[in-house]
Amino acid sequence: MKILKKLRRVFRLHRIFIKQDLKRLMEYKIDFVTGAVALLIAQGINVFFLSIIFSQIPNLDGWAFEQIIFIYGFALLPKAIDHLFTDNLWAIGHFIIRKGDFDKYLTRPINTLFAVTVEKFQVDAFGELIVGILLLSVSVPSVNLSINPLNILLFVIALVFATLIYTGIKLITSSVAFWTKRSGNITYMFYMVNEFSKYPTTIYNRAVRAVVSYIIPFAFTAFFPASYFIAGGNPWFNIGGTVIAGSVLMALGILVWHKGVSAYESAGS
Amino acid sequence: MIYVNNLKKEFKKTIKDPGLKGSVKSFFKPKTEIITAVDNISFHVPRGEILGFIGPNGAGKSTVIKMLTGILTPTSGSCEINGKIPYKNRKSYVKEIGVVFGQRTQLWWDLALRETYTVLKEIYEVDDAAYKKRMAFLNEVLELDEFITSPVRTLSLGQRMRADIAASLLHSPKVLFLDEPTIGLDVVVKDNIRKAVKAINENEQTTVILTTHDLQDVENLCDRIVMIDKGSKLFDGNISELKRRFGQSRELRFVPYDFAAVEALDYKTEFGLGEDDLELENDGHKVTVRFNSDTIPVENILNYTLSKTHVKDINVTDADIEEIIKGIYRSEVKLDA
Amino acid sequence: MRKILKIYKPFTHAGVLLAAQYRINFIFFILGDILMCFINYFLWKAVFNSGGAETFMGFSEVDMVSYIFISFLTSTLAYSDGSYAVGEEIRDGSIAMRMIKPIRFDLAFLFQELGERTMSLTLAFVPLVAGVELFKFFATGSFRFSIINFVLYLVSLILAYLINFYFNVCYGYSAFVLKNLWGSNFLKDCIVGFLAGRTIPLAFMPPAVGAVLNFLPFASLTYTPVMIYIGMYSPAQIALSFALQIFWLVFFIALQQIIWNACVKRLSVQGG
Repeated sequence: MKILKKLRRVFRLHRIFIKQDLKRLMEYKIDFVTGAVALLIAQGINVFFLSIIFSQIPNLDGWAFEQIIFIYGFALLPKAIDHLFTDNLWAIGHFIIRKGDFDKYLTRPINTLFAVTVEKFQVDAFGELIVGILLLSVSVPSVNLSINPLNILLFVIALVFATLIYTGIKLITSSVAFWTKRSGNITYMFYMVNEFSKYPTTIYNRAVRAVVSYIIPFAFTAFFPASYFIAGGNPWFNIGGTVIAGSVLMALGILVWHKGVSAYESAGS
Repeated sequence: MIYVNNLKKEFKKTIKDPGLKGSVKSFFKPKTEIITAVDNISFHVPRGEILGFIGPNGAGKSTVIKMLTGILTPTSGSCEINGKIPYKNRKSYVKEIGVVFGQRTQLWWDLALRETYTVLKEIYEVDDAAYKKRMAFLNEVLELDEFITSPVRTLSLGQRMRADIAASLLHSPKVLFLDEPTIGLDVVVKDNIRKAVKAINENEQTTVILTTHDLQDVENLCDRIVMIDKGSKLFDGNISELKRRFGQSRELRFVPYDFAAVEALDYKTEFGLGEDDLELENDGHKVTVRFNSDTIPVENILNYTLSKTHVKDINVTDADIEEIIKGIYRSEVKLDA
Repeated sequence: MRKILKIYKPFTHAGVLLAAQYRINFIFFILGDILMCFINYFLWKAVFNSGGAETFMGFSEVDMVSYIFISFLTSTLAYSDGSYAVGEEIRDGSIAMRMIKPIRFDLAFLFQELGERTMSLTLAFVPLVAGVELFKFFATGSFRFSIINFVLYLVSLILAYLINFYFNVCYGYSAFVLKNLWGSNFLKDCIVGFLAGRTIPLAFMPPAVGAVLNFLPFASLTYTPVMIYIGMYSPAQIALSFALQIFWLVFFIALQQIIWNACVKRLSVQGG
């Protein structure tokens, strides 16, 4: 009962914060619309780029155009969801800690991580989300994908834990700022690795493949789970790996965060 | 209410050699030194008291406040407020306190001020009836009505400070921490804020801990002051006590007919004083002598002065609190700690 | 000219100091961006492996790899902050302060940015050029560095930077209308990047589209210098593209001047 009450409170707070942030956005309507449009265009350009490549070759390393589009679209979803809910973590590494602005989260009677992430609802992410859903829906009829309850369940699980991989990595690298004052650039560098996940890992050499599969496991946010749906494979590895990577990174992220909060030194008066 | 025992905070500071080489070196093998920002401070604050926390820049005031509010974890020592340890029971503890950092704001920058209160109401779980009543009270004390619908970014500094104080009081905290609440404000606004703090303290028995550089704040508001410098406590007591202890310092001012005759005055030999016991200043318009009435009785110094010079005007005054504190900061006043 | 250099030298100096302060940041960001180059590198390798042909729309594998890295280098070096800087000044009102100073504000920005560029020049230029040339050497078995193309590339790069700078300053003025926050700048960067050939060489576009894009100012920002570097342009094409670059530079300088004058008028009438 107590947990239920607590969860209700979390959702209520979340709703209120989102409402507030949407009001903030309305103050900058034009910026918000152009930002989302820009993300849409950026993704559109990349798809155009792929279509030009496929106009000249029959397949890419054995993958057909529609399959690549499916993987690409899949890659956008967890990224967009993470972007939507936890974008404020970027600010932690860039300036919140350096300027001592983290103080205010500590003087509030709610969990610090919740307080930070809930403060920003990054609507720009809808640009990526829309393109991702669009690409999945246009590619689904042409890829060999059976839609059944089990697959739908696995799809949702993969999506949730793939999102946690993003959030976990962002959380770990942002928390570094509790010790070093700023870490936005480290987050950026790690985060850019996610771009590798958009394509089949088979196109990379062995070292790169090992890194994106097991060290900074972005391959589990897109290629591994997506290829399970369209080309089959071992679900324990393809989906299970996503679950494990997501859980481990998120747990590690929360741990580092809490260690960081107790090491937080604020800023000179 | 508030018990602070041997509170200590050390920071590790990385020393970096200049240049790229220095950065790389400190990245791999950081050289650190330990800085003690707060060194074994103890004090006690009873319920309903307004405590002024003063000291020069970098004395460690903010660090103490940050430990008391649960933002920083002490290196050693302890503090207990309302039976809670700030850095251990953070979430339940901060429900009972209000915090204002004068240099920062906790208001939502881009939104109408009212929106901040709606969110805080939820965060602190204030129910609708209590919220309504509370807002009416805060509005009466802090006069928020005139700008409550404006976006926070358009508020003046004084309005923002009132709004911030209201935000920290929304959940009726038992303790209110104000870190430089009057910084950068004009005299009228300062006065309003002081009145508001006083009103809240009297109405609800709210304990207030306040840091400030404005000694008017201290004189008008504080029942007691704790003075710290370089992380250590220098003085703990009320203002009359401060004056009694350090207030023997007096100023003798006179305007002689002949400024050259002042040369003949030799207080130090006459009263057998050391180098630091007396200070003489002759600016060509008047002569000021600072002395301690314990070592030289006022009568004696007047007699001696008048016997040596002819004066147009002469008076002896108490040094005001500002002078006393300036003296302590400069360590001119001997401290029998 | 010497007088100008003397007046604006402090700005360059400030720029160098600024860049030095943010060098660690810069290194991480550049490393992140170079990762993107490597993704494209692997992607194109796979494309050539899968296609089976020696060339892809006229580009060999070596050409393509050079294109990826040199276009990254070119866009990094020709990068300009002008639109953010101008937008920021317009939003906080400090642009009015520029009117009371006895210096040209475009030149002040320009010289400061040149100073900031020293960082990308020292940290990115040599490693990338050396890397590309080494790759060409190992892939083809012979050393194919053309001094003439390299010098022409440098000239074209400088023109590209200047065009980009004035284009960005002009765009920055749109802050009067658009407020130029994150969104509109991001939108601009996306579109300009695409039209400048940063995602794909303009030669891969449908011929009619490609022909038009070649004449737009954006091709001058990245595509032109890169094509000169990798030796895809004939002397006639090089001459034509220099003419185009100079035309667009003059065009944007003039446009900037016109907008600035209008600005001064507006500011002095409305008072900021």
